[in-house]
Amino acid sequence: MHAIERVLNALAGKPTDHVPTFCAMVEDRTFNEVLGKPLIPQELLMGNPAARFVLDRWGRALTRPVFQPEVNRGLEKRIRAQVELGFDSVWAILDETFIVIDHATMVRFNGSIFNLQPDGFGNMTYMYRGPGIKSREDFEAWPYWPDADDLAHSTYRFFRKMVSRYGHRACLFGQGPAYGIQESLLWAVGFERMPVWIRREKDLVKRYIDLNEEICLKTNMALIDAGVPVVIQTDDFAFKSGPIMNPKLIDELFGPSYRRIIKAVHDRGAKYVLHSCGDNTLLFDTFVSWGVDGLHAYENTSNVDILKEKRLHGDKVTIIGGVGVDYLLTDRSRDEEVVTEVKRLIGELGPGGRFIIAPVHSLSSIPAHKLRVMVDAVARYGAYPISVS
Amino acid sequence: MKESILAVRRAIDELDLDGIGAIVGRCLEEGLSPEEIIQEGISPGLAIVGQKFEEGEYFLADLIMAGEVVKEAMPLLKDRMNPGNDGGKGTVVLATVAGDIHEIGKNIVGMILSANGFEVIDLGVDVPAGKIMEAAQSSGARFIGLSALLTTMVDSIREVVDAARSTGLRDKVRIVIGGACTSQELCTEMGADAYGETAIDALRIFNGYAAGA
Repeated sequence: MHAIERVLNALAGKPTDHVPTFCAMVEDRTFNEVLGKPLIPQELLMGNPAARFVLDRWGRALTRPVFQPEVNRGLEKRIRAQVELGFDSVWAILDETFIVIDHATMVRFNGSIFNLQPDGFGNMTYMYRGPGIKSREDFEAWPYWPDADDLAHSTYRFFRKMVSRYGHRACLFGQGPAYGIQESLLWAVGFERMPVWIRREKDLVKRYIDLNEEICLKTNMALIDAGVPVVIQTDDFAFKSGPIMNPKLIDELFGPSYRRIIKAVHDRGAKYVLHSCGDNTLLFDTFVSWGVDGLHAYENTSNVDILKEKRLHGDKVTIIGGVGVDYLLTDRSRDEEVVTEVKRLIGELGPGGRFIIAPVHSLSSIPAHKLRVMVDAVARYGAYPISVS
Repeated sequence: MKESILAVRRAIDELDLDGIGAIVGRCLEEGLSPEEIIQEGISPGLAIVGQKFEEGEYFLADLIMAGEVVKEAMPLLKDRMNPGNDGGKGTVVLATVAGDIHEIGKNIVGMILSANGFEVIDLGVDVPAGKIMEAAQSSGARFIGLSALLTTMVDSIREVVDAARSTGLRDKVRIVIGGACTSQELCTEMGADAYGETAIDALRIFNGYAAGA
């Protein structure tokens, strides 16, 4: 069975020859280990005074014509590295959401501000700094909203190339330049403000959700038109100990958008996977009701019980994840510990199908070697019928 | 107990952001002191919210909302409060450790502690150990709260504990950790005093220290 058929079968609840694998993205350190390090580390390149001067002065103007092509090359490296590592399915993202403000600051077009900073391995990464929309006036004046049709066009162009280069080797889980509707709202207005806005600024929240739904819909359709078989969307609805807000409220606010998006994806013959970090135990029924085919993360460091979820929802949705990045997929673990955990997950979640084993997250500290150990262990112990003893 | 005080509790419990101002105003008009309103109305109201959070009826956004409800009430009370009664449970220095810039959890803890009578000095994110010690020393804080989300930054917690030892503060301050990558095991490994999984856990821990200190 080809990797793509294996993954699509698992998402459809059909039998597979083997437990499929999914790579939850790789960061710069990992793809440099797979593909080779750049001659000049990004941190050095971006940190020198000349680069700082250029970024501080012309960052906004140069974002799309100059920086975006470079970012896209990095994004392709991520896809290539995941494929080279031997995963059956890989996370392919086009991140065209950023505008560079200065050497240390980027904004995301839908309202949030990020620090541009070193990742500790010689590369640059970004970290959420705070909200960009703190008032009604900020919302009305926000200058960075994109044209959703333009985004759809660039999404199509990027993914046509990715599908032609890698789409025959692995099943691409495509994410266009759109982040989750709920997490985008949270980042844009700030966590402390979001519950208040939901209560007091209902019209603004509705307009924000509608704008993001349009972006998601149009870019998702472009992904599918480009040949991507699975759409993946990040939207972290939970923290370590449970949902961010009442599941009923989540369904009321965001459910209609997700139902429309997922129906449109299904209407075009593609599958839909939702990534949500944290303990989503109280939300799985909601996600299933939205129509998702697969759910990713089941973070081992949260309170979610992946085995219980397999029993409760394993016949309705494909469980994707399970392998921790807090210890197992770090430099600190031993290879045999990774193998032991992979065997345990396959033994407990593999029977009955609808399980795709995957790291629970991407992280700049994940060594490529540990991902290889994981993939090798799945190749060795993941064949159906499962027999891991 | 007066109906108006019960209404304060109810307003917090029901997350009544728009109604709390008028209710507190009515309490003041009836001659209740700000301290009585806090003790009999706001604190029990927050305790009910905390309990509902622990029982799974309320969620993080509801905790934030309860904090916002209290924030609406506080300016009305502060103007009439006797100096020295605010922050009476002690000072907590809060920080996200060096190398980590995540602050949502820390901010929630800060808000809950402030609303419950602690003086909170929030140093922000990516705070080096030295700066945390300086703040603890200059403020006389007996409590430090450290937040860390990134696995790669857990050693920064140890640096704070070591800095507390080297500055002679270790026996004088309680160090409590929390955040996505933390756990009781990590707390023990790093030499901190306690681990709080949620903001309500943190409140319980600091309340315990404040009562015992």
